[in-house]
Amino acid sequence: MEQFLQAAIIGVSLGAQYALLALGFTLIFGILGVVNFSHGGFYMLGGYVAYSCVAGLGLPYPLAVLVAVLATGALGWVFELFLLERLVDDHLATLMLTLGLYLVISTGLLTIFGPLSMEFAFPVTGALHVGPIYVPRENLVVLVVCLAAIAALWLVLYRTDLGRGLRALADDRAVAMAQGLRPKLLFPLAFAIATGLAGLTGALVTPILSLSPGVGDPVLATSFLTVILGGLGSLEGAALAAFVVGIVEAFSSVYFGGSIGALVLFVLVLLLLVFRPTGLLGRTVRGA
Amino acid sequence: MRSRISLLGWAELVALLLLAVGFIAPMVTRSVLVYSILNQIFIDVIAAESVWIMLRMNLLSFATPAFMAIGGYTVAIAGQYNITDAFLMSTAAFVLPALVAIPLGALVLRLRGTYFVLVTFVLSQIMQLLLFETPGLTGGSNGIAGVPPVTLLGTEMGSNRLVLQFACGLAILATLITGLLTRWFRQHFAAIEENEILAESLGLVVWRYKALGFVVAAGVAGLAGYSLVNMLLTAHPTSFDSATSVDFIAYTIIGGRASILGPVLGTGALVYATNLFGTHGQYAQGLYGVLILVVVLAARGGIVGTIAAVWRRLSGRRS
Amino acid sequence: MKHGLYVAMLCALPVTAFAQNCEMKLGAMGPMSGGAAQWGLGMYSAAQLAAAEVNQEGGVKIGGKSCKVTVVPYDSKYTADGAAAGSNALAAQDIHLIIGPVGSPEATGIKPVAARNEQIAWNAAYAKNSLETKYPLMFHVGPGPAVWGDAVVKRAMKVFPMKTVTLIAPNDQAGTDTVSVDVEAYKGNGVATTEEYYQRGTTNFAPIVTRILAAKPDVVDTASSPPGDAGVIVKQLRLAGFTGPIGRLGGPGTDEIVRVSGGIDVLKDFYWFETVPTDDPKVREIDAEYRKLLGKDPVGGTAVWADLPAARMTLKAVSIAGTDDAQKVAAALRTLPVEDPNIGKGYWTGKKQFGIAQELHFPFGVGIIKDGKNLGVERQEAKPE
Repeated sequence: MEQFLQAAIIGVSLGAQYALLALGFTLIFGILGVVNFSHGGFYMLGGYVAYSCVAGLGLPYPLAVLVAVLATGALGWVFELFLLERLVDDHLATLMLTLGLYLVISTGLLTIFGPLSMEFAFPVTGALHVGPIYVPRENLVVLVVCLAAIAALWLVLYRTDLGRGLRALADDRAVAMAQGLRPKLLFPLAFAIATGLAGLTGALVTPILSLSPGVGDPVLATSFLTVILGGLGSLEGAALAAFVVGIVEAFSSVYFGGSIGALVLFVLVLLLLVFRPTGLLGRTVRGA
Repeated sequence: MRSRISLLGWAELVALLLLAVGFIAPMVTRSVLVYSILNQIFIDVIAAESVWIMLRMNLLSFATPAFMAIGGYTVAIAGQYNITDAFLMSTAAFVLPALVAIPLGALVLRLRGTYFVLVTFVLSQIMQLLLFETPGLTGGSNGIAGVPPVTLLGTEMGSNRLVLQFACGLAILATLITGLLTRWFRQHFAAIEENEILAESLGLVVWRYKALGFVVAAGVAGLAGYSLVNMLLTAHPTSFDSATSVDFIAYTIIGGRASILGPVLGTGALVYATNLFGTHGQYAQGLYGVLILVVVLAARGGIVGTIAAVWRRLSGRRS
Repeated sequence: MKHGLYVAMLCALPVTAFAQNCEMKLGAMGPMSGGAAQWGLGMYSAAQLAAAEVNQEGGVKIGGKSCKVTVVPYDSKYTADGAAAGSNALAAQDIHLIIGPVGSPEATGIKPVAARNEQIAWNAAYAKNSLETKYPLMFHVGPGPAVWGDAVVKRAMKVFPMKTVTLIAPNDQAGTDTVSVDVEAYKGNGVATTEEYYQRGTTNFAPIVTRILAAKPDVVDTASSPPGDAGVIVKQLRLAGFTGPIGRLGGPGTDEIVRVSGGIDVLKDFYWFETVPTDDPKVREIDAEYRKLLGKDPVGGTAVWADLPAARMTLKAVSIAGTDDAQKVAAALRTLPVEDPNIGKGYWTGKKQFGIAQELHFPFGVGIIKDGKNLGVERQEAKPE
């Protein structure tokens, strides 16, 4: 029973982390139709910016996280506006562009910071212990931030004109443009929001785990899995799937250990992708 | 349009000729550096050609390492039973991945564009985990070490020079297969690349050609796996890491996707450039990144397309 | 793009056209990025220092001339094909002597290829086949837990009484080979063991920590987990409320574990195997000498000290053989007594475990941290086989 509860707690905290990543990933796909291979790069970048602010400039951690979000958001905005925007309708080209960007980011970080992991600690430490069960305080912080980010994103998308514009573009770009929406303005913004979310996750999670070049690689794989499971482009699906992936991963690792859990998850996703490409909550297969 | 067809026409011959130079190289030089670079090129060219076949149909595949693993492990496992005959093993390394690709293709070829990319990405991850979870067959995380060298007509291809020439032979074989396939079905593949739905509505049985392409691409990747295992004398899961598919894609895109010269020249140029980084190979990824950005944004035809454009401009000016 | 191509074509022409003044290149190989980077960088620093020392004396003697030694590093990424490709890349630069690689997958990968390239390689893997009679050019930087495991467990039990231990390591050769030998050392001293393996590349160990705690061990031993991973494991174990001692019968890396886990107070109770007696002032002089000769701090922590004798003896053997030909250097190496000015006197071992006595066995150390206080590393003398 203890183990069961503990696995559930781990699953939820993993899920919160994955949700932050998957939301950004699915936002970009839903609105721009772009598979963002550089998502893990923005995660790493977020971690390193926050680290540099804390260790180099002596900023307090929350401020460093904010800087990381703004920096990754700004880079995403610039990248979309000046590079991605020109080829935004060519799926293969955008995929290659984001892949190229990822390689540049990860090599850049390796060159600047070297291969060793950084000494970067989360300011909140310790855990709440209830009998044999424990909940790390840092994971609670991540969970709260994650829920807040999901709520904020939902408010933006469903309660503002900006959000209505973005959703209209996601539904049918031609019609939306005919009604006077300007993708040139909205696309970079959507991309910036998404990369900012990846940067936020990086700034939050890397001090809890570890920060070294290469921590972005698993991020891409997990984002893929989550987003496929939830249905490409579906925000609700991504959030739900993130917690499913987190919980499945936690339970399979706790009860079976090793890599069997990952294998089960991958095969599950493969079958889902083949037999229900729309995922759990996706509506239509984009004409990608 | 005609110029493009004629480019394709002798592109295969030029590609084969380029590779054949590698066969003569060991007779001219004994430089280990040349051997080492050529060996890498011969292996990676085959893998890049596998990616290229799929790109002919506008499908970007990340599954190359998975099929390479099937080919490579087939040879390594056979080697444990002292089966090392070159003809037999080349056939096996091609046929086994191709057989596996038939049912897989039936599943994944229903997907297009982004979904196909994602599913092949997942496939190569699954292959990694399968290798780890089957220690009885594949040696699990330890891999299979001490694979005996291949024997060709009774000769053991053990020395560096013979290994290189054998790798060259495999690269030529793979280029022949790729060239024949893509030339034979040139119009079918082109129709699928241009507009699959239109091609289908015009009566082309699209799935048949896509399946054929996928199966042959898998077989070609298997040959790359064979060549790799033969060079390393070890089959190890890390050799078939899903991240390596990024390299093969980079070679193909940067080389140019219009003709088979693309993967050949792209692999040659980038493997050579990587070696300029010497022992700081990890920085080569940054170079690939920059080159991909440049090619996609500014030089859509890649190396081959750029050369062709320059050639056309020069010859146009002259006439 | 055009320019890139021209550059590539230009460079293709004179690859080996530079005439060298007498120079000998020494390879240094190991993981220089990722979680085990420290071990690979240790190989590199050790090779650099040994080269700098020899160069100060004028260089190695090859064919009657004194040749300057330069070190060429290669990042083999803790993978089999990384090491195999590294052997080729170094061979391409006419390098016959390699200090490294480090891990078991790397040792597996380099053996056949280095044999084909006729290179000496010094691996530091705790693998069951680190050395094999069919690869006589392979040497071993130091023995695995089969030689020192018992001594470490005995020393640890004096400070931390224990009845059960859980060992955790990656689920590959590097992990399983080390753990299976560690288990023998614990069982020999009456300690019951359980084992736990994780996929290399795991970043979050919370589920595995839950599994470990379910077994309620007195001690958790991080065996051959890379130091970066071990640091996260310790951090998450402590967070989960585990208060028992942490052990480490595996590769060095205490500094990095302390750093990643969040400090010595988090680590609290810890015992570990050190490849050399690190508290010996003579051993510590190595860092000062490195700073003096190379003008910067060595990277790689205590691994540098452990790898240094191998690099020094290799260069000494080159001067004796009068060539950097691998066969001749190996023959000279085998006749050298195992002695190092900083570490002390040791023995050639490996005959019993591998059937070939090409393993350097020097004095080693057992380190203890108790209640967040470092009690130091106790010197243990080497014994002949």
